[in-house]
Amino acid sequence: MAIQNGDSDGALLSKPSDQEYPSLNRIPANYNPLTNYNLPKNRHYTQQYADMYFARLAQLKPAVEQVAAEAWQDFEIAGERARRVDRVLDVRQGELCWVIGTCYMEMPLKPNVLDDIGKEHWIAAPPARQKYTEGGEGDQVMLEDESGRLRLTGGALRSVLLVTGAIVAVIGTENKDGDFEVLDVRVADLPRQPPRWERDDGDTAVRGKSVSKPRPSGGKVAIVSGLSFSGDVGDTLPLELLSEWLLGESAGPDDQQDTSTISRLIIAGNSIAHGCPIPSREEVAAAALKSRGQKKYGYDSASYNAAPTARFDTWLANLLPSIPITLLPGESDPTATSLPQQAIHAAMFPHSRAYMQPPAVDHSSTEQERSWFTSTTNPTEFDLQGWRFLTIGGQTLNDVYKYLSTNDRLEMMEAMLRWRLTAPTAPDTLTCYPFQDGDAFVLKECPHVYVAGCQPKFETGVIEGPQGQMVRLLAVPSFRETGEVVVVDLESLGVEVVKFEVWEGG
Amino acid sequence: MAQEYTEYLAVHVLNEQQLVSYRTLSRALKVHCNLAKQMLYDFHHKQNTKKPGTVHATYLLTGIRRVTTSSQTNGIHSQDDEDIPMQSSGPLPSSSAAEPHDSIPESSIIRSILLVREEHLAQAKSTFDSISSIHIYSLECNGLSDIHTLTECNRQIDVNYASEDPLQAWKQYGTIQNPNVKRRVGKGTAPPPPAAPIEKNPQAKIAPSATTAKAKEAEMKAEVKPAAAVPTEKKGSTTTSFPKPVQAKRQNSDIFKSFSKAKPPAAASPVPADPDPKGEDDLMTGFSDDEGLDDDELEKEVGEAAKTLQPAGKSKKEREAELQAMMEQEDEEDEAMEDVTAATPDAAPAADVDAPAKAEEAEEPKETVTIENGRRRGKRRIMKKKTVKDEDGYLVTREEAAWESFSEEEPQPKKIKTAAPSQKASTGAKKGGAKAGGGNIMSFFSKK
Repeated sequence: MAIQNGDSDGALLSKPSDQEYPSLNRIPANYNPLTNYNLPKNRHYTQQYADMYFARLAQLKPAVEQVAAEAWQDFEIAGERARRVDRVLDVRQGELCWVIGTCYMEMPLKPNVLDDIGKEHWIAAPPARQKYTEGGEGDQVMLEDESGRLRLTGGALRSVLLVTGAIVAVIGTENKDGDFEVLDVRVADLPRQPPRWERDDGDTAVRGKSVSKPRPSGGKVAIVSGLSFSGDVGDTLPLELLSEWLLGESAGPDDQQDTSTISRLIIAGNSIAHGCPIPSREEVAAAALKSRGQKKYGYDSASYNAAPTARFDTWLANLLPSIPITLLPGESDPTATSLPQQAIHAAMFPHSRAYMQPPAVDHSSTEQERSWFTSTTNPTEFDLQGWRFLTIGGQTLNDVYKYLSTNDRLEMMEAMLRWRLTAPTAPDTLTCYPFQDGDAFVLKECPHVYVAGCQPKFETGVIEGPQGQMVRLLAVPSFRETGEVVVVDLESLGVEVVKFEVWEGG
Repeated sequence: MAQEYTEYLAVHVLNEQQLVSYRTLSRALKVHCNLAKQMLYDFHHKQNTKKPGTVHATYLLTGIRRVTTSSQTNGIHSQDDEDIPMQSSGPLPSSSAAEPHDSIPESSIIRSILLVREEHLAQAKSTFDSISSIHIYSLECNGLSDIHTLTECNRQIDVNYASEDPLQAWKQYGTIQNPNVKRRVGKGTAPPPPAAPIEKNPQAKIAPSATTAKAKEAEMKAEVKPAAAVPTEKKGSTTTSFPKPVQAKRQNSDIFKSFSKAKPPAAASPVPADPDPKGEDDLMTGFSDDEGLDDDELEKEVGEAAKTLQPAGKSKKEREAELQAMMEQEDEEDEAMEDVTAATPDAAPAADVDAPAKAEEAEEPKETVTIENGRRRGKRRIMKKKTVKDEDGYLVTREEAAWESFSEEEPQPKKIKTAAPSQKASTGAKKGGAKAGGGNIMSFFSKK
């Protein structure tokens, strides 16, 4: 049975040797979280969502205006100069002009609260939609601001991605039907990108220490999503393999050495398969079937299963002695469902909690100590080894996906960055907190790495902004479905994928 | 050394037919996991040369696998080139520098970590372009019907080595160490992870059989409470010395700490005595498994409990009398309640059932109270209510004395209890009533 395959891999398929294995130490990386998406402690939900749209428009208007003015200042057709119009309703028929507003997509398949109520009375609810659009049939694009709405038409619309909530500038004329014939569209584009280490340098400078010290390499970061701990046994083997690999116990000495350069693990959503406190319409229906027609809404404590959370906690607690972890909630995790999802509560982690920041912040503890195991919001932003990471649990991207006829997820991620919106379709088709003074989903600084969790497959790409901003886009697939973990080098931002598989049967 | 692991593997793999992974072995023998992998290989090799097919192995392969999987998205370069023009028409033709080298898919390395049974090893190896390492993952006696049963190995480790401190013990196994790790210790934190398995506790195992009738009540904490109930019981009958309950106490506090970090004192007190911070709510212990409640919450609840039992409040004697006449059971309990509170203020009819009256006759240990750094600890006698079904099928409620250990912060069990519950209850009820009925409906809508 001796299977030898070269020298290196034979080492572990041989008699026990006296060889001393060196103790490996994991490389540290500088982790500096931001709290942009933390909601206030006392939250009110009585505000109107309209305020959010107004705030968003107000926040993004200057940026869009600048881009549009630059692009269209000499825009001329048949000797007619394009004129800037302040409000949507001020557009005059036949006059070449440009105007800024919020996109609104009217789509026949888009969920509608009135339909929702109607659905309750139907015998069979229609299936959940993959897409809201039917290849553009029947869709209407509108431009909206405080004053009113304008219906947009024209071939130019087909070449751009637009979803509800995006702030755009359009140029064109109003035709005799009262529709606005669009010739071109402009968006805010990428915001300013902070140079690497900006915040950390700022912090050290504030503390009065010298900034210019050489920084050691931060190694790599592993990003995983969709661990989907469930109550069932029998499918967790890849999770065990992942854990052993991260701990540096499995594989050969070279691989272990390599693994020790992974300085942090990011879990981007859906760690627990059915942890969502609000059951989906389908789950309610299934439960009703089971209990013979008794519909029970909301949380059913009788059906609560603690096993997935307990298992997840143990899994984390096994990793934490060796590797720091950042945990984002996702759609199916036990926390609030509306965006920005707040951190999964520490009470869920009786064992791993020991590695968390204590409830009362101890100011004597160092940055490193405070951020060993961080349960954060979704979306979340943090600086890792100086790079700004923007990470989402996937819902925002999945919802944008439904609006568009394209299937290219990276393109959508890029568009979201260029719109400067992390959750453009909230509050239209995504639930979110009714922000009052300013939309928190407006991106103020451009990240270096934009990670979307819970995607169907792994994809990556780099986009460039007008001021030379470079953003690495990463679509991280669900581990449960693909067994894939994305590893990003924190110096080059290069990407590799590690895939965990179990050879089943033949 | 050689004997040690051969013997271990012979016992566990051949005789007991267990699954043994390299991690199990490294933990059992306290060796580096790479060494354990070699031991597995050696054993596997030797056994199978002696008698082929006695030991079955699974292998873990690492390396670069040939791209066959559907998840591979970016291996095909020729298409990438064609994709570029498409994308230039793409996302936002708008932006001032819309140079469309955006999102060019680039090839990235895909490393594979593959677990495979020995019968498929050759086949699996052929799918690899290059293999960086290969080692035996586990050994098992007969073939592996379901490869997923291997998760059992790690579960066993979690269970059996839960007491090990990962920060110290794991170094010998070759786990990647992290000098920066910071773990909180002290109150409110769980004991060193991972999962102190409750079911491993031998006391808990005995307990369910000992505590019969009250199993239902304790169901929620089945694993916890009985464990505590047993020692108290024993103490009642045989006056065993303290260590045992103390141990039980620690276990309890461990578990409850993990639930209620907000209230360490409550958590630290032994479970059977859990109502002592809220002595007045004897009435409702039957349905109170609320550990971490605030005092005012408790008060409210007491109020509510009192309301249900004495709907008219204390002032309306006639009604109370009527009620008493009507509900003998309830009445009995009420009286009993007063008795209880009169006898021992902080009564807790929480725990054990089988501590019968004879136990108390046999030996009458004195109530002991020791005070150490502000906390009172000791044993005291309490009255317990017990409802049993007699031969005729009637429910009979009896009072029984039992001993329990307690520890609390309060200076002294006050003598208020006979009067207090009802008083407090009535005020509570009033408060509750006022809150429920008196509020202006507009206050509900106003901003808070």
